[in-house]
Amino acid sequence: MMNLKKLVVAALAGCSFVSSAFAGPFTKKSELGGFDGFVERMSGSVRELGRGNTGSADTASMPGAFWNPAILGFRENLGVTLNIERRDLDRLGGAFGIEGKVGKRMGVGFAVLYRGDRDFKVIDDDDETVGTAKPFFSMFYLGFAYRATRQDAFGLSLSMSYDNLDIADSKYFEGIDMEDSFRSPVTINLSWLRQWNAKWSSSVVIRNLSFSKNLSAKWTKNPSKDNSLASTEGVRPKVLQIGLGYRSKIMGKPVYAWMEALDYQVADTLLAFDPQLHVWTGRVGFECEIVPNATLRVGMDDLNWMLGAGYKFEIHVGRKKFPLEVNYAFLYETSAGLWSPFTLGLRGYIP
Amino acid sequence: MKLSLKKRAIARKTLAFVAGLLVGGSALCTNALAGETLFSNFVFAVGPAGENGALWAFSRDGSYSGVTLLNFNVASKNNVVTEATAQAPVETDTLTAARYEIFEDNFAERRRIPAIYAGTKLGLVLPMYAMDKDERYRQPAGFYTVLDLKNVIENPIDIPAVANDLDTLKDDPMMYATSGFAYDSTAKRLWVARGALGLMVHDVSSNKGAKDTTFVLKVEKDGSAKLERLKNNTELDLKKNPEVFDVQLHPESGDLWLATAQGIWKRTPNGNVSRALELSVLDTMRVTGLWMGGSPLQIIAETSYKKDDNFIGGLWRKYGEKPKDFSRVNFLDTAGKKQKKDIYDEADYTVSDVAFIGKIAYVLVRAVGGSISGYLKLDSLGAKAWEKDDDGKDQWLYGYETGATDRKATIMSMCTFPLSKNRTGLAIATYGNGISVSADSGATWSVVLNRAKLSNDLGSIRMVPSVIVQPGEESLVSYKLGKDSKVTIEVFSYDMRKVRTIVKDAERNADASRSTNPKEDYWDGRDDHGKDCTMGVYYIRVKDNHGHVGWGKAMTLGGNFR
Repeated sequence: MMNLKKLVVAALAGCSFVSSAFAGPFTKKSELGGFDGFVERMSGSVRELGRGNTGSADTASMPGAFWNPAILGFRENLGVTLNIERRDLDRLGGAFGIEGKVGKRMGVGFAVLYRGDRDFKVIDDDDETVGTAKPFFSMFYLGFAYRATRQDAFGLSLSMSYDNLDIADSKYFEGIDMEDSFRSPVTINLSWLRQWNAKWSSSVVIRNLSFSKNLSAKWTKNPSKDNSLASTEGVRPKVLQIGLGYRSKIMGKPVYAWMEALDYQVADTLLAFDPQLHVWTGRVGFECEIVPNATLRVGMDDLNWMLGAGYKFEIHVGRKKFPLEVNYAFLYETSAGLWSPFTLGLRGYIP
Repeated sequence: MKLSLKKRAIARKTLAFVAGLLVGGSALCTNALAGETLFSNFVFAVGPAGENGALWAFSRDGSYSGVTLLNFNVASKNNVVTEATAQAPVETDTLTAARYEIFEDNFAERRRIPAIYAGTKLGLVLPMYAMDKDERYRQPAGFYTVLDLKNVIENPIDIPAVANDLDTLKDDPMMYATSGFAYDSTAKRLWVARGALGLMVHDVSSNKGAKDTTFVLKVEKDGSAKLERLKNNTELDLKKNPEVFDVQLHPESGDLWLATAQGIWKRTPNGNVSRALELSVLDTMRVTGLWMGGSPLQIIAETSYKKDDNFIGGLWRKYGEKPKDFSRVNFLDTAGKKQKKDIYDEADYTVSDVAFIGKIAYVLVRAVGGSISGYLKLDSLGAKAWEKDDDGKDQWLYGYETGATDRKATIMSMCTFPLSKNRTGLAIATYGNGISVSADSGATWSVVLNRAKLSNDLGSIRMVPSVIVQPGEESLVSYKLGKDSKVTIEVFSYDMRKVRTIVKDAERNADASRSTNPKEDYWDGRDDHGKDCTMGVYYIRVKDNHGHVGWGKAMTLGGNFR
């Protein structure tokens, strides 16, 4: 058993490193940024964001329906999380999740992720600002988990996006019966989480499978109700996300290490073996509980740097204790050179 | 989305009024200061304003139409400087000079907006269209006369009952669209070509007011013809009464030449009507356009007719006095060799306008079913190709590639106008990129268009327009530099993944207005591999080599997954 564990852990770690190492040299046929899916690429909670956006191999990650629905199989209480992020260039994000145990072996959870731009100037061809739009993009997740053994849980979540560009009323589109709102079909995410022992955990998440041809999450968007504008297509790449967690102590203080390897298949095929049709990224994060209940975090998501901090406390209502945790993250988006100091997350459990 | 169209219309009219006041006080804003130089960058027609350096531009911006009066001066090295601009909207929102489907229509005579200067009594003359029951501007309604910014006059003309009696006209009012004007400054008469409804004269010679009379050309079996007054009880027969598509006043003889569905006819000043030329090759042709000018006198004729499902076009010319008839315009390759193929017809061109400077005729053409537009330069031999492209194909069209516009915009109209006492200016109107003016017969051009003010040193970046409706459309990255710099422009997705490098370390000059190079500094909604980016908001970073960074935003509605 020990050998198998070492083998799996080594393989997962190897995947993580290899994916990071090979991410650069290949000339890709598409840029990942040009695809749908940035909402889920940008994290769903501040606690996990502060440690490199890693959360799929941690049974404590919330919202579980987003990170890895198998996490829901490990829930014992009703958990709630609320997060808000304000990034540079008027970008506003947030996430909400609620999840809990169902029966002895099952868990269920719901999550919504939100990203928007609070100040998009609609400029016409006359270089005149004709309005301000507040476009937003959101993802909804409904997750289910089954805990097969004390160590293993399997999860499934159904996800769907809802976007609104907020430009239909613009003078720019006068005479066109514009459509602002776009909803994707339901996509499926499958996952597994194994808590090998007190130290090691691992996860595998496959995201964005659909009932369409090639199991691709691809759909048509028609930006006008009167068909005066050409319809466009949205594709959310299939994702293979492999996570690894390690817990230990250094100088008597709990230390955690997290690692994730992600493969985005930027092609509308069932499986593409051409490396140019895959974008690999890696995430890594570390956290340390420097004093009881206070944690410092550091991490890296692709090339973006993160710092985080969290504090756990309890609120007493009558005889009941409600564990709460406040989290903060500081983010540097390296390739764009942008700092984002305004992120805050709150999570708690109702026993 | 917070926007009030009504407020916007009021604001625009107020702005126009203030601009008008400034014109009166001769304290005009200059191009460098003005955010709104033109009524709109979507200019459909340009025409002279009667004074040196003055030019009218007619624009339509969504639901609003208006005119701009521009005044130019020529600085050193033929550089045209915009001295002043002022605008005025047309009075009635439901009327415009830019007709519906001007791009899509296949009929050559419907693909242009005639604009002439008709003396101090009428000013600029433009056609006028009203909305039909489907709220489309395809009901001919008369013509505009633009004397000044306070006198943009709507001149409605009667639609005789016969237009409703004939099914073909009832179904397609564009059959009697206004497609040509000619002004007789001696007789003070404006002649209007009205298609199936013949020819109208707008007589302003009397002090008692204008008088309109419409005639139809009646061709007899013996080949003779006369102009008959169109009455309500006239029985219109398009075989006997050929449509009149254009009208020109012969600058030497004073005869009125009519381009009709049955060749070219002329009306002498004493009222006699006959074939313009004896036994002309165009006698049986459907002549859809006619232009005269230059020295020696050139007469350009456009023919177009439908055969099966195709339109056959022809470009003809009578150059000087020597030839007795029209001949097809020759197309010569870069070596001067005459082409056997009819390049004009093969390219599906139609003529939008013709301007003359000396021996050269500038024939503005637009391809049917596409966005190709540009002008041919006709000298005494014909149109000579100015270069071969990478595929070895001869290039005859002047336009974006030769610097007439700095963005790929459809050229809609062209005219000459007096820039100064001794200099003739050339102006073109573009759909989306304002106007271009040349003081040296098209060798160099100055672009005039609306530009919002920008902060220096990349302090503000504007994407114009900020919404890319379809991939391939260009959103211009507008920025201003305080000193000459090397500029890098990159596009990032919402999650700050770089999707496109537009230019890297490109040299750009400091400029009081903007430093953008429109030929390179634009985003077309695609990533570095030419793939359409998905629907969403994207962020455009502009960096210079002096440490300045600016950000703009653009939205694309997406494209197709390839």
